[in-house]
Amino acid sequence: MTLLEKDRAPVSASRHYWRNVFQTVKSTAVGMGITFKYLWSKPVTVQYPDEKLPTDERYRGIHYLEQDLCICCDACAKACPIDCIEMDATRQGKELDWHSFTLDYQKCMFCELCVYPCPKDCIHMGKEYALVTEDRGTLVLDLLGWKGLTEEQKVRIADAEAKKAAKAAAKKTKDAAAPPAAPAAPEVPEAPAAPDGDEEA
Amino acid sequence: MNVAAIFPTDPAAAAAALAQQGNLATDALQGVLPAGVPWWMITLGGAGLGFAAIMGFVTVMSMFSIWLERKVAGHIQVRLGPMRVGGWHGWAQSIADGVKLLLKEDIVILGADKVLFKLAPALVLGTALATFVALPFGPGAMIADVDLGVYFIIAISSVTTIGIIMAGWGSNNKWSVYGAMREAAQVASYEIPFGLSLMPPVIYYGSFSLRAATEAQAGWGGLHWYIFDPLTFWVAIPSFVLFFVSILAETKRAPFDLPESESELVAGFHTEYSGIRFSFFFLEEYAAMFVMSGVGAAFWFGGWNFPGLSLLEGSPVLHSLAAVGVFTVKSMLLVFVMMWVRWTVPRLRIDQVMTLGYKYLTPLTLICVFAAALAEYLKS
Amino acid sequence: MATTSEETSARNADGVREFEIDVRTQDVELNMGPQHPATHGVLRVLLRADGEILTGGQCHLGYLHRCAEKIGESVDYIQYLPYTDRYDYLAAMNNNLGYSLAVEKLLGVEVPVRGQYLRTIIAELNRIASHLVAVGTYGLDVGAFTPFFYALREREMILDLFEKICGARLTYSYIRPGGVMNDAPAGWLEGVDEFCDWMDSKWKEHWNLLIESKIFIERTAKVGVVTAEQAIDWGCTGPMLRGSGVDWDLRRDQPYLVYDRLDYQVIVGVGHRGTVGDCFDRTYVRMFEIVESVKMIRQCLAAIQDGEVCHPDVGLLLRPAPGEAYVGIENPRGELGHYIVSDGSKIAKRVRVRAPSFCNLAVIEDILPGCMLADAAAIIGATDIVIGETDR
Repeated sequence: MTLLEKDRAPVSASRHYWRNVFQTVKSTAVGMGITFKYLWSKPVTVQYPDEKLPTDERYRGIHYLEQDLCICCDACAKACPIDCIEMDATRQGKELDWHSFTLDYQKCMFCELCVYPCPKDCIHMGKEYALVTEDRGTLVLDLLGWKGLTEEQKVRIADAEAKKAAKAAAKKTKDAAAPPAAPAAPEVPEAPAAPDGDEEA
Repeated sequence: MNVAAIFPTDPAAAAAALAQQGNLATDALQGVLPAGVPWWMITLGGAGLGFAAIMGFVTVMSMFSIWLERKVAGHIQVRLGPMRVGGWHGWAQSIADGVKLLLKEDIVILGADKVLFKLAPALVLGTALATFVALPFGPGAMIADVDLGVYFIIAISSVTTIGIIMAGWGSNNKWSVYGAMREAAQVASYEIPFGLSLMPPVIYYGSFSLRAATEAQAGWGGLHWYIFDPLTFWVAIPSFVLFFVSILAETKRAPFDLPESESELVAGFHTEYSGIRFSFFFLEEYAAMFVMSGVGAAFWFGGWNFPGLSLLEGSPVLHSLAAVGVFTVKSMLLVFVMMWVRWTVPRLRIDQVMTLGYKYLTPLTLICVFAAALAEYLKS
Repeated sequence: MATTSEETSARNADGVREFEIDVRTQDVELNMGPQHPATHGVLRVLLRADGEILTGGQCHLGYLHRCAEKIGESVDYIQYLPYTDRYDYLAAMNNNLGYSLAVEKLLGVEVPVRGQYLRTIIAELNRIASHLVAVGTYGLDVGAFTPFFYALREREMILDLFEKICGARLTYSYIRPGGVMNDAPAGWLEGVDEFCDWMDSKWKEHWNLLIESKIFIERTAKVGVVTAEQAIDWGCTGPMLRGSGVDWDLRRDQPYLVYDRLDYQVIVGVGHRGTVGDCFDRTYVRMFEIVESVKMIRQCLAAIQDGEVCHPDVGLLLRPAPGEAYVGIENPRGELGHYIVSDGSKIAKRVRVRAPSFCNLAVIEDILPGCMLADAAAIIGATDIVIGETDR
C-alpha cells in the first residue's frame, strides 16, 4: 500500500507549499515517462478491415445451418427469447422442401440459446460477425442460401448442396420416367414438429 | 515607434525607415522592382508578401501539427492514429479534414448573436496570425523586427480572449458561456506569470526584441543558448519550466484546457460552431501553440542558431532558409512537448488553475526575476 | 497546488456543508445530459449553478429503460438469461451469476465444485474488467485520456479469455442456472494465469500514471465526500460504500460460490489523500480490488479440480416449485440483488432487480450542492454508474 502517512501529517505552510510543487513536478514527470515509453512501443490495435483478428473456436457469430439435417421442428424458434427465428418448409413425402429459414439479425442477441434444444444439432454459431449494411431489410438473413460463410462452412454447405443436387437429379430422372406422378400436388400443410428424422434418405 | 516612424511622409526618412526595417520581402522587392517605385508601394508589397507567407506557413504548420497531435496521441495510447488518407501514415488526413470542414454547411444557430458569432472566429484567427509578425524565423526572415517583440506578442495574443468571449456569448449556449468565462479568468490570470517568466531572459539579453535575443545567443558556434549559459542556466531552466506551464495555460492546452474541457462543458466556447468557423478556432489553437513555442525557442533555445549554420553565411538566402528551418524545428519540438503533456495529465479544476496561477506560478516567476537580476549583478 | 476544495465542498465536524458565496447571482439551470460526454450514457442531471459552484442537482432517469424486469415475467427462466447481460453490460458475467444463483435457490440445486470455481474465476475476471473501465473512464472524466486506453488494453485480454470460454465478448450468458454453459477449453486456465501475471506487472503503471498523479489527487481528494452514515442511509453498496469506510462486502459477509475458501482482503477507503469517502477513496478501492481479484483468481486456479461444470438435472426448461428467492451478490458496482417469485410454471411470476448503480446514483443529489461544476463530472464518474443498470 502506498499510504504516505507523512503526506497527511500536519506541516507548516511553507513545507506544504514546496511539497506540492515537488509532488506536482515529480508525478507529472513519472507520468510523462510512462507515456513516452509507450510513444515508441508497438501499437496493440490492428487496421481492422485490412487485418482481422481471428475469432475463437467458440465464437458466437452469425449462425449457420446444416440444412440437410434440419427437420424444421421449430425448437430453436421456440427457445429464442426474442422470436427472431422463422422457418418455413413443405414436407414432400420424406423430403423437406425449404422455403425459408430466416434469422432477424436486427433482433438476434447471439445468446446461443437456439443451439441447445436442436434435436439434430444442425444450427450452429458461426464465426462471421460483420453485419454492415445500408438497408435494414438486408439484416433478415436467409440461412439457407446465404453465401457469407467461412470456407469450412462453405465446403460443408457445398457438400450438402451437391448431395441435394444429386438427389434432385436422381429425382428428375425418376420424374421423367413417370411424368404425371404428382406435378401440382396440393401443398401439404406445414409439417408439425417431427423429432424423429424420418426424411433422412 | 510612433506613427511617423512607421509611415514616414518624407521620402528620405522613408528610405531610411525601409533600410532600418528592411527584411527579406522588402529587400527582394527592392531588388526586383525598378528604381522609381515609391517607398509605400514597396512597404505595402512587403506587407502583402509577409501576409501571404504567414497564411501559407500557418496553414501548413497547423495542418501538420493537427496530424502530429493525432499521431502522438495515437502512439501514446498504443494505437495508430490516422492511417488511411494519403497512404503513408495518413499524412493527408488534415487536408481531407480541412476540405470536409470547408464543404460543410455553415450553421448559425437560432438565437445566436449573429454579429458576434460570425466575427469571433475571424478575430481569433486574425490575432493568432498577427502574432507571427514578430517571430524571428531567421536573419532577415522576420516580417517585422519589432523592438518590443515579446511585448507585442503578449499584447496581441491577449486579444484572442476577446474573440473567445464573443464566441461564447454569441453562441446562446450556457456551456459556451461557461467556457468563455473560464477563458477570460484563466488567460487574464496567466498573463502575469507568462509576462514575468519572460523577464529573466529579457534581463539577460537587455532587450525585448526577439531578434536581438537570438543574435545574442550566436556564440560558441551557435550553441551559446540561454539555457546552456554556465553563468545563468540555474535561472534559465526554472524560468523556462514556469514559462512553459504558463504558455500551456495561455494556449488553453491540457491540463489547462478548461475553456473547452469536453468532459464538463461538452466543447466549451466552440460547442455551437461547425464547419469552417470551427476550423478557425482549431487553426488558432495550433498557431498560438507555435507562436508561444517560438518565443520559448528564441529566448531559451537559441532561436535560429545551430552549429554549422554559420557555414552558409556566404549565401544570405540559403542561410535565411536554413535558419527558418532550424527555428521551425525547435518550435515544433516544444509543440510536441505540449502534446505530450496533454496526453499524460488530467485536467485541473478552475479554482486550482487560479490557485496555481496566483499562488504558485506568480511568486515563483518573481523569484526567477530576482534571481536573474542577481545573476546579472554577479556577472557584472 | 494547494487545493481550495475545503472552501467549496468540505463539511464541518457536524457534517454540515459549508460554503460561502460572497456575491450571489441568479442560479443557472444546466442540463447535463442526456447527451453529455461525462454522464456515461443517457443520464440527465439537472444542475443548478451559481457561477462555477453548484447549488443543486437532480438526476432524471429512464432514458434507457427497456422493461427488463417485465420481460422477465414473460419469458421462461433460461430465456431471461440474455437479458441479465444487458443491465450492467460491463459486468455481464456477474449479472448472469446473480440471476443464476437466485434461480438455483428456487430450484434447490447445488452447482458442482468445478462449476463453482469456474464461476468464481469468471466473476473475478469480470470484476477486474469492470474496474479497469471504471478507473479508465474516470480518467476521461477528469481529463486524462491515455489511462483509459491502457485500461482497455488490459480489459481486451480478459475479453479474449471470455471469448475463448463462451464465444462472446460483452454479453456472455455463460453462467446459467445449474452451472456454467460449457467447460473451459484446453489451455484456458493457463491463459488466465498469464493474464494475472500481466495485470500484476501493469497495475503499478496505472497507479503511477493516473492515481498518483498530483492533478488527479487534487481533482478527487476531498471532492464529493460521502460519509459512512450517508452511504448507509442512501443504500450505497460496493466501492461506493467501502470507499466511505464501511467494511461490508457480500463475498465475505454472505459468502456464495467458493469465496469462503479464499483468502483475500476487503478494501476499505481510509482517506489516503483526502477525507474518508471522497472520490479518490472510491477509485482507490477499485484499484486495490483489482489486486485482490488477481489474488483470488490465483487461489482458484490452484484449487480447481476436474469434474462436472453443470448440474445434470438442470435442463433448459425450468419449473421451480412455487416460492420466492432473493440472492444478492457483490457485483463490481455493489450489491446486485435478484428477487424472483415462482408460481410453479415455466415463467417467473415476478422478477425484480436491485441494481447497485441505481442506488449509488441517488446519493449524488445529496453531495452535488457546494461542489464546483467540474466536480459534477468527477462525482458522477466516481459513482461508476452504468445507465443500462440504473434504468434496466
